[in-house]
Order: sequence, then structure tokens, then C-alpha cells
Amino acid sequence: MMNQATNTQTLASVDPNAVENRYVVNANQGQTSLYVPSTTGSEAASWNMYRVENHPAESGSFSNSTYHHVQHSEPSSRTVQDGSNATSLATSSSLGAANTQPDYGGYTSYSNSAGTYSHGSAGYQGYYSGYQQQPNPSYSQPVGAYQNTGAPYQPISSFQNTGSYAGPTSYSSTYYNPGDYQTAGGYPSSSYTHQTTTWNGSNYANYTTQQYSNYTQDSSGAYAAGNAGANSLHYQQHYKQWADYYNQTEVSCAPGTENLSVVSTSTQLPQVSQVPGVSGGYPTSNSQAPTTFAPPWRPESSSSQTPLLQPGATVTGAYDSYRTHGAPSFQNQHPSPVQPHFVKPLESKSSYGNFQEQQKTACPQLPNLQYPVAQQAPQNYQPPTQTVQSLETQRVSKLQIQTNPRIASNLPLGLPKLDKEGPNNNAIAKPAYISVSLPKSSEKVLSNDAADTVLKAGVFPKSLKSYVQRALALCKDEKQSAACQEIMKEIITKATSDGTIHTRDWDAEPLFPIPNTDMTDKNNSQNPTPVSLFSKYKKSPTRRTKSRWEPLEEKSVDKLGSLNNYAAKYSSRVPLDEKDRKPIGASSEGKTDVMKKIRFPQMEQKSASKTIQRQAKRQRLADASAADNGDASSDSDKEQNLTAYYSGAIALANTPEERKRRENRSKRFEKVQGNRAESNHFKAKNAGTGNLYARRTTALVLSKSFEDGGNRAVEDIDWDALTVRGTCQEIEKRYLRLTSAPDPSTVRPEEVLEKALLMVQNSQKNYLYKCDQLKSIRQDLTVQRIRNHLTVKVYEAHARFALEVGDLPEYNQCQSQLKILYAEGIKGCHMEFAAYNLLCVIMHSNNNRDLLSSMSRLSAEAKKDQAVQHALAVRAAVTSGNYVLFFRLYKTAPNLNSCLMDLYVEKMRYKAVSCMSRSYRPQVPVSYIAQVLGFSNGVLTNEGSDEKESDGLEDCVDWLKAHGACLVVDSNGEMQLDAKASSSTIYMPDPEDAVAHGDSSLAVNDFLTRTSS
Amino acid sequence: MAYPSMGEAHRRITDYLNKFCDAVSYQDVASLAQLFSFSSNSPSLLSLADALNFFQDANRLIKQSDKFSQFGEILAPLFRSLQSYRLGNLVEAYHAFEKFANAFIQEFRNWESAWALEALYAIAYEIRVLAERADRELSSNGKSPEKLKGAGSFLMKVFGVLAGKGPKRVGALYVTCQLFKIYFKLGTVHLCRSVIRSIETARIFDFEEFPRRDKVTYMYYTGRLEVFNENFPAADHKLSYALTHCNPLREANIRMILKYLIPVKLSLGILPKTCLLEKYNLLEYNDVVKALKRGDLRLLRHALQEHEDQFLRSGVYLVLEKLELQVYQRLVKKIYFIQKQKDPSKAHQLKLEVIVKALKWLEMDMDLDEVECIMTILIYKNLVKGYFAHKSKVVVLSKQDPFPKLNGKPVNS
Repeated sequence: MMNQATNTQTLASVDPNAVENRYVVNANQGQTSLYVPSTTGSEAASWNMYRVENHPAESGSFSNSTYHHVQHSEPSSRTVQDGSNATSLATSSSLGAANTQPDYGGYTSYSNSAGTYSHGSAGYQGYYSGYQQQPNPSYSQPVGAYQNTGAPYQPISSFQNTGSYAGPTSYSSTYYNPGDYQTAGGYPSSSYTHQTTTWNGSNYANYTTQQYSNYTQDSSGAYAAGNAGANSLHYQQHYKQWADYYNQTEVSCAPGTENLSVVSTSTQLPQVSQVPGVSGGYPTSNSQAPTTFAPPWRPESSSSQTPLLQPGATVTGAYDSYRTHGAPSFQNQHPSPVQPHFVKPLESKSSYGNFQEQQKTACPQLPNLQYPVAQQAPQNYQPPTQTVQSLETQRVSKLQIQTNPRIASNLPLGLPKLDKEGPNNNAIAKPAYISVSLPKSSEKVLSNDAADTVLKAGVFPKSLKSYVQRALALCKDEKQSAACQEIMKEIITKATSDGTIHTRDWDAEPLFPIPNTDMTDKNNSQNPTPVSLFSKYKKSPTRRTKSRWEPLEEKSVDKLGSLNNYAAKYSSRVPLDEKDRKPIGASSEGKTDVMKKIRFPQMEQKSASKTIQRQAKRQRLADASAADNGDASSDSDKEQNLTAYYSGAIALANTPEERKRRENRSKRFEKVQGNRAESNHFKAKNAGTGNLYARRTTALVLSKSFEDGGNRAVEDIDWDALTVRGTCQEIEKRYLRLTSAPDPSTVRPEEVLEKALLMVQNSQKNYLYKCDQLKSIRQDLTVQRIRNHLTVKVYEAHARFALEVGDLPEYNQCQSQLKILYAEGIKGCHMEFAAYNLLCVIMHSNNNRDLLSSMSRLSAEAKKDQAVQHALAVRAAVTSGNYVLFFRLYKTAPNLNSCLMDLYVEKMRYKAVSCMSRSYRPQVPVSYIAQVLGFSNGVLTNEGSDEKESDGLEDCVDWLKAHGACLVVDSNGEMQLDAKASSSTIYMPDPEDAVAHGDSSLAVNDFLTRTSS
Repeated sequence: MAYPSMGEAHRRITDYLNKFCDAVSYQDVASLAQLFSFSSNSPSLLSLADALNFFQDANRLIKQSDKFSQFGEILAPLFRSLQSYRLGNLVEAYHAFEKFANAFIQEFRNWESAWALEALYAIAYEIRVLAERADRELSSNGKSPEKLKGAGSFLMKVFGVLAGKGPKRVGALYVTCQLFKIYFKLGTVHLCRSVIRSIETARIFDFEEFPRRDKVTYMYYTGRLEVFNENFPAADHKLSYALTHCNPLREANIRMILKYLIPVKLSLGILPKTCLLEKYNLLEYNDVVKALKRGDLRLLRHALQEHEDQFLRSGVYLVLEKLELQVYQRLVKKIYFIQKQKDPSKAHQLKLEVIVKALKWLEMDMDLDEVECIMTILIYKNLVKGYFAHKSKVVVLSKQDPFPKLNGKPVNS
């Protein structure tokens, strides 16, 4: 803040707030006045809070930062070579792509950012030109500031800019010569990314603008909460993008740091080339921006104030203005912070320390500039960028290598999105993975141009129309709309050229595309959702398919899953999501095997669910807000999407009831949305995505989110609607823990489960197999909410199996379920398990209160039961330490009582021997000990008694020796325990199978050997 | 029943409101606490409840005057609770009462002095009782009773308000005791630990400065906890403290204390007089004591079986069961004495067969191995001094004090 204040003073006004400073800077451009009043107070206040929250949420960004570093170094090198901003921008875009990869784990959005980067970069260039002029002397600093500012602004800009920058595409051409990019990067992939990004960017821009418009409109009434949430969500995404931006900026900074002169040159260059472009783009935005600007900001910063709704166009304008304003302000502010940052990163390689310092200095400034939410993100991002810089300096050599993978990742990111949208994307995506595919992308691009006309023709199916309409509706500026149209047309043309499949895809696409497109848009603007989807798609399908469904097939698929396969999968998956999976996979990409097709439904759900979890909340919020808002565009879009989706979905879920249910569900969460947005928008990353097609899964997630919010009770969830009725006829099924709503096609109905239970009980396979099967049976029962004698049987069977092998954790699960089931009055082997329960309490909890309560709970009838009586006798023997009784009871144990007693044998024996060694004098024959302590009741029950005893004796001797007892041989040659000597020497040895984690049953090898019989 | 007239209802409500405000402004705890104690079923409260149900719009009265409306947060839910209480809807009454109680604590927090402690006590008590009754209502409707749990967490909050420094700390023990009651009732005794720690580790406030009745209650419950843990010396200490400080006129309370103290004392080797058992109607221990005196294992087992449910519920079953060893000791001692009379020179050598035979007379059918095991355990636990010669199956007793008395020390475990 201090830095900012100083900067501001020097620059124009004495306003303490960075925002004001920025505005002042903007004022130079002409729009400043509005900003100053609006942002200063609330934003500054909100600062700190946001930072804290954002940091944890965006921790993932750090990893990105490292990636960025590598990339950054490249840009720096490039800058040195080219000395032009364009190069830096190109690098930045590549960086964005790289960023996306790391984000996969945490932030999916990053991948999208790549697209946004390009746009943002374009905008930045313009900014640079304008801004750079002002601070020329201190250019390196402004650059750094710029980057920072750019980051926050970019999100904004990315949304609206994309529209305004629809021009930007042209921009890119002017500013960024494709050749420059390619040459600069030297990475074919990077060049691709640029192209794709630009495309995406335009598309995204449109989409994003749509969202914005929706939001703003929505904001009118109940919007406050919802908008806040939505805004915040967007912001977060933006943040991510921002981070990318930061990286970009950093890149530029890096060069700046290296050579001030170079920086100046670069700045000059941009000025010359970019200034005109900037001026052209800005005027439009500016004209709208000034009026709209202040209001949108405020609503964002203060969620409650959202009522200021402005048309999407105005918003975009505002954003543009923001960019312009922000950029200048940033420059002003940043210079001071930038310097310290640079120095520190360069000197100290520890990225974190640098990050913090840089954050401290840079963050305050940046956050002030923009939305509170945005501020948070910038802060987080800034650190990475800074670190990046330092890293860059260090790792310049390494950068290129790293960047390639990143680029590749970027490509996939763009690809998946594109896939969803249409063939174009797929083609692009493939190239990303495989060099061969690259030509396709170029072709597609070409075709896109042609497509525009096609779209206009209106020959396409409804879905396409709706899709196009949406896209157009989203466009607020003419430029944007034009760009969108072009893109859409291109996509459509490609689709048509590809075949009917594409058309089907379109149907499905609109639904997903909305998210997807949104995603893609978001990716540019709000990266998180799309990226995550894709990344998860990659990961999730293979894993899940493996684990759960048809493991063998999965494996084969997995093996097949080369890069090509991935591309194929993407394409196939996208269609799958749309339920056109099979046709799509077959037609578009023959790579997908039949197996894949089969899997796809499962894959989809699973992947969807996974992806959903993190992204869902955001999407939901967005969706919900859109729905809630009642915007004609948003609602109609959704409706269209839904209808299109359903129509597209030939096979499933087209029934009115189904739709009603889904609508109900969606409404449900819409209601809660506001609350959730407020309470959860920071948690958004954890939440699932709310793809329309994944309603069911989302419903579950919703329930969780409800709980999170604490506003809705679990009862509010329509569990009946969520209950599955299985249709699977397979008797055998592997267990996989559900992470999403179950798919009826993989759930077995009761009759099949009964057979499955019989199969397991008669199976000769080992416990691991049985356990797996039983767990899957249990899961199917639970999912279908079957609670009857079969359920009891299954749990009893599983509990017995578990006892036989000593798998107590599993047994405990069954036992606790059985307790509930018995309490519900379902008949079963109640007594047997009451005895087990009693024994378990005795052996394990060593808790008198538990023991008392479970004893007092026994009915008089139960006490007459043989098993229960036995258990009670065992208890008495244990509490009194009567080892003789204990081992006698052991030999006469009914059912599996002995299995539980096994767990106590060691302790009992030790106690007995220590007691004996204290009480007996002078000696005790080992044979007696063996007899009393149950050694003679060994494995060899069929053999002669002599052999048995001698065998038991040996065991006993071994045991005694292992426990440090002193054994002597008396005159008769009989082995004796020297009691007195032993009393001081016996000890409890560490169990041989002790494991670091304390649960020896988890030692796989041991477990396998035990259970393999 | 006769409904009051509108004016009468109005009068009663404003009367109550005035009382409340006066009590607060004059810091008159006694009358304030009275206003809250539903369970007293005082006629004034009942008639107020009727008036409220008749008048329906008491909130308007509260809002009418500034004097009342400043306590609107407190009074509105209180009225609602009273209404529901009167109508027998206890779950609703509990909900409203908890709301009222929360509002009251909020207010209480702002009061510097601890003048309103008694009122807080009343609330703590009422909320517990109300929760218990609400739970009964819930479970009779087939719903899961959870209100007592809720009351527990509310009281925990109250405890947090009181447990700091300052004059309000005196009230912490009362709330603790209410919490104990809830936890013991719910069977979530482990939750007591945090409260106990807070009470016992606080050096700022001497335990002795708490009110006596709270101290006794506290010691009673913590003593019971020690019984569960089979930490007999500590249990003895706490329960004895409770017994000595308990109001001698509260025989029911004394009986409750003795119910746990007697088993504890027994396991420390201290037997009560029969008159004590009779005086406090604790005859279920009579046979146990007799068995200990005689070494009559059969009697002990019989007594345990006879009162099993009772002992299990009160949680002393396991403690009494452990007396078996002392009974064995007594039995062996008697055999020793008889043997000594017959042949003093060989008195310290007890043949296992003899013991088995003696047990057989008691209809305890045990074979040599089992009895041998018991003898080793007796020696191991230091209830018998000596050793066991396995070869000759003879217990060789120490010549000096072969049967050491416990004398207030627990049996070695």
C-alpha cells in the first residue's frame, strides 16, 4: 500500500487507495472519475480477507508458477532475441497452456487460461503500448506492474475483451504475427496453442460475455447472493487466468529486468504497432465502459449491491474500460513494487519467500485495483509470477523442455473444449497430442471461415441453431458476435463435413457445450471448469473403468490408451456425455474401441462426477444463477440446451418424469444457490460440477453442499428420486467405492444379488475376492436401499468371512450395520452376532462401560443362547485372568467365537506365563503349560494324540523362548519352565508382523498369504 | 376450564413482563429465576401460559413498550415456549426454550456481575429437564431423541460463558453437574473429561470455593467415573468426599453415593456394617458382604446373578465380580485355619485337593487345573503369600502373614 500511495502521489492524485491511483491513471485516458469513488473503500477493506481465502484455494497456482517459471525463462530468452513484446506475449500464451497442465490436478481452469492468455496478451499489448509510454524510464518496473495489473484485469478483459477483442483476433495477427509466435517459441506445439487459443478466446469471449450478461441481469433481484457467488466464481477462474497473465507479465518483466534497454525497446515497439490497435479497440469499450463501469465493480465487490444491472454490452464495455484503466493504474502502481520483486526473486531462489515478499508489495496494489474477489486471486497469482521470474532466471536453460509438455497440455485443454463444441476442436486437440493431427487443426480453421455461411443457411438441426443463437446472444459487441459467428460457423461446417455425428454432437454439445463453451469461455476467462473436466476425463475414465467395470477390458483399453487414444477418447467422451457416445466414437474417431463405447456411459458418469466435484459448484452457481435470473437468454438457453440434449439423447432419460425430476432437482439447488454461493464460493473447488447431464451426480453433491451451507437438512433431498433400481444382470461385480451417483445399468437388482451372494458363499476363491464381491453386493444393496433378510444375510456372510481371516475393520463395518438391521426387526442370526459383539468388546475396547452396556442390553433370552453364554463365560475368564478357563472355552467355542478369541490368545498366554512364573516354584513342566495354554489343540486334530501333544509342546517351547522364558531340562529329560528365573526375563516381544502404520492386517503380503488359502 | 377474559389475559402478560423487567433492573435473582422455572408448575406460570394461549399476540405487547422490547429477544421465545409447554408440545417448547436461553446468555454475558447466576441455574436445570421430556415425547413418536444432546451442547456453551475468570466462575460447577447428568444419561461419559479438566486444572479458582451442593454432586459423578475406570482409591476419595459433605438429611442422595461407595470399599477390603445397608436400603449388597465374610463363592455368584440387571445398570457389576478373588482368599484362609487347628506343623502346606473338595461342598464344580489356576492367580495378585508346587500340587504358604489384608489398598492387578 505504501508503494502504491507513493506511486499514486507521484502519478496524479494523492489518493491512498491503489484503485484511486489506477483510476487517476485512467483519468489520463478520460475515464478515471467514476472509478475513484466506487472502488476505493470497500475494495480495500475486502482485501485482506480475500487474500487469506484465496491462498489456500489457489495453492495449486504455486505449482503452476513453477511451470510458468520454466516457460517464463523461455520468453525471456525470446525477448532477448526478438526484443519485441509480441514474443513475450506468445510466451505468455504458451505459459498459460503450461499452466493449465499443472492445474489439472488442482485447477482445471488453467488450461483454459491459455486461450485467455492470448487474448489478454493482445489486450495487454495494447495496454503496454499506452502504458509503456508513460513510464518509459522506469519501464521494467511498469512492465512488472503491468503484468500484475494485467492479471487482475485480464479476467475482466477476458470476458469482455474477448468480445471487444474479437477485433483482438485481428490484433493478434497484427501484433502477434503467427510467425513470431512460432519462431519465438520454436515450439510447434506452442504455435498451435496460440492459434487454438485465439480461436478459443474468441469463442470464449463470446461465451463469457454471455455469462456476464446473465449475471448482471440476474443480479437485479435475489441476485445479491447468487451474483456474488457467481461473480466470485468467475473471479476465481479469472484469477487463475490472471495468474497466467501474471506469468505473462512476468515474462515481460523478466526481460525487463534483464535488460532495461531491451524493455524499452520492446515497449516502444508495442507502442508503435499496438497503440493504433489499442486505440481502435478501446474507444468502443471505453464509450460503454465509463458508465457501466462503476456499477459492475461495486456489485462484484459487495455482493449485496449487485442490483446495478447493466446490459451485457455495457458490462463488456466496462471491462474494456477496466482494462484500459486498470492497465495504466497498474503501471503506475506497480513500478515501485515491481522493482523490489524483481530484485528479490533474482537474488533469492526460494520461490516462496520471494512470493510472499512480492505478494506483499505487489498484492496490495493489484487487489486494490480490481474487484475484491479478483484481488485475492491476483495476490496469489502474483507470487507465482514473481517466483516465476526468479525461477526463470535460474532455469532459463530448462525452460524449453518443460514448456513443451505444457504446451501439449495446453493443446489438450483447448482440444477437449473444442471437441465438445465441434470437430474443429477435436482436430486441434489431436494435433496437440500428436504432431500428425496438427494439419487437421489448420484445416478446420480454414473450414471455419466457410462455415459462417453455412450457419447462416440454417440447414442445421435445432441443436445447432440453438447453439448458434446462444453464442450470438452472448455476444454483446458486434465484434464479438461476429467473431462468435465465425467460430460457430466454422465449427458447424467442420461438423457437417465430418458427418451426421457432428450434428448429433451438436445436440448434445449445446448442453455440455454450454458448460463446455462456458467452460471454454471460462477457460479463457474462467479456466477452472473446462480444464478440470478434460484433465479428469483423461484420468478418470481409465482409472475408474479399470477399478470398477470389467477390469480386464479396462486394462486393455488403458494399454491402448496411447496419445492417439487420448485424443480419440476425448472426442468419444464428449459425445458420450451427450449420450450420442456410440455414434460419435464410431464415426468421428474410429480409435475408440467397442470396448470404449461400452464403457463410455460409465466413464461419462464417473468422469463427470469427478470433474463435477470440483467444478460443479461453480458451474452450478453459474447455471443456477442463470436459471434464477430468469434472463430470457440464460433460461431459454438452458431450456434449449435441455431440450436439445434430451432430443439428442436417443436412448435414455427422455421421459417427462425424468425431466421433471431433473428440473425439480435443479430448482432445488437453485434455491439454495444463494446461500451456497455465499458460504461455499471459496469451497467451490471442492464441489462437483453441475453439468446438466450429470444431474444425478450433482444431486448428491448438492446434498453435500447443502450440508456445507447448513441451511438445508439432508431430509430436503429427495432420496426416493435418487434411489436407483438396478438393471445389471451380471452376478459378479467388482467393488469400487462410489464417488458419484450410481448408474442403474451397473447396479444389480435384488434377485441377482441373491445369486451373487450364493456364488460368493460357494466360491473357493480367497478372501480378497470374496470381500470385494461382498462389498459390491453391499454397495448395490445400499444404493437401492434394500434392507431386508437378504441384506442381513449379506452382512452376516461378510462378517463371518471377515472373522475367519481376522479382518476386523471389515467385520466392524458389518457388525455395526447388522446392529441397525437387527434393531429394525429383520431376522437373522442375532444371537450369534450378539456373542461376537460381546467378544469384540471384551477383546478390544477394554472399556468397562461399553462392556457393561452391551451386557445389560442382552435380553434374558439372549443369555440362554449357547453362543452368548460362551461369550459371557469368556468375558468372565478374561476379567478374572483365568487362563485355564479361557483356553477351555477356546476349545469349545461355537460358531466363530474362537476367531475372535484368537485375538486375545497372545495376551492371555503372556499373562498366564507371567502369573505362573510368579506363583510357581521351583519349576513348571512345559507340557503342563502347553496343555493349559491351548498349545496342544493345534492344527493336527486328525493325528494321533501323542503326535499332537508333542507338536503342541514344540510350539509351546518356541513360544516360551520367544517370550524370554527360562527353560531347563530336568533329570527326567522333561522340559521345565524355571519360574523364578523367568519371572524377571519374560517379555512381550514386538509382533513380528508389526507394520509401521500399526495395522498388520494392512500388510499386503502377509494378508495375501493368510487369505490365499 | 375457564378462559380468562381478554383483559385478564392482557393483565397477566403485562404483569409478567413487568416482573421480568423489574427483576432485571433490581437484579432480583430469586424472582427472576422463578419466572423461568417451568417445571415448578407454579400456578402463576400456568395461568400466564393460559393467558398467552388465549391472547395469542403477546409479541405485540412486548413491542409496545421500550421497557419490554429491549428484552424482546428473550421474552418472545420464552412466551412461545411456555405456550407450547402448556399445550403439552414439549419438543416445540424445548426449541423455543433453547432460543430463549441463548438470548438470555447473550444478555447475561453483558452483565458485569454474577447476580443472575441463580436465574442461569434455573435455565440450565429447566433446559435439561425439558430436553429429557422432549426426548421422551420424541421417542414415543418413533423419532430419534436428540434434544438432550442439544441441551448438552447448549450447556457446554453456558459453561464456556462461566468458566473464565471473574465472579461468574462460581456458577461453572453447577453447569458442570447438569452436564454430567446429561452425559451420564446419554452414555456419553467420555465427554465429561474436558469439563473435568477445565475444573480441576484451573488454579485460579479453588475447588473449595464452589458451593457445597455443587461440590458434592461433582464429586459424586467424578467418583462414578473412577468406578468405571476401576481406579478404586480415587473413587474412594471422591465418593467419600461426597458422602461427608452431603447434606445428612438428603437420604436419597446419600444412598446414591453409597451405592457406588460400598462396592469401592469392598474391593478395597473394607466391609460395611449391615445396619448401614439396612438404613439406606442397600440390601442388594447384603449377600455380597456376607459372601466376602464367609468366603462363600456360591453366595457371591448367587447374589450377583440375582441383582445382575441392577448391578449392570448402575455399573458396579464388574467391580463386584472382581470380589471373587477376595472370596477365594477368604476360603483358603479358612481352610488354612482349620488345617492349623488340626496340625499346626503342616498348616502352611495346602493341598490342592482340599481346596477342590471345599469348593465342591459349595457346589462349585472345578477340577484341579482350574483351581490351580485360581491359586496361582491369588498368589500372583498377592492375596496369598507363598508359592505353588506343581509337582506335588501343593500351595506352600508363607509362614508370615500368608493372607495379607488389603487395608484400603486395591488388589494388585
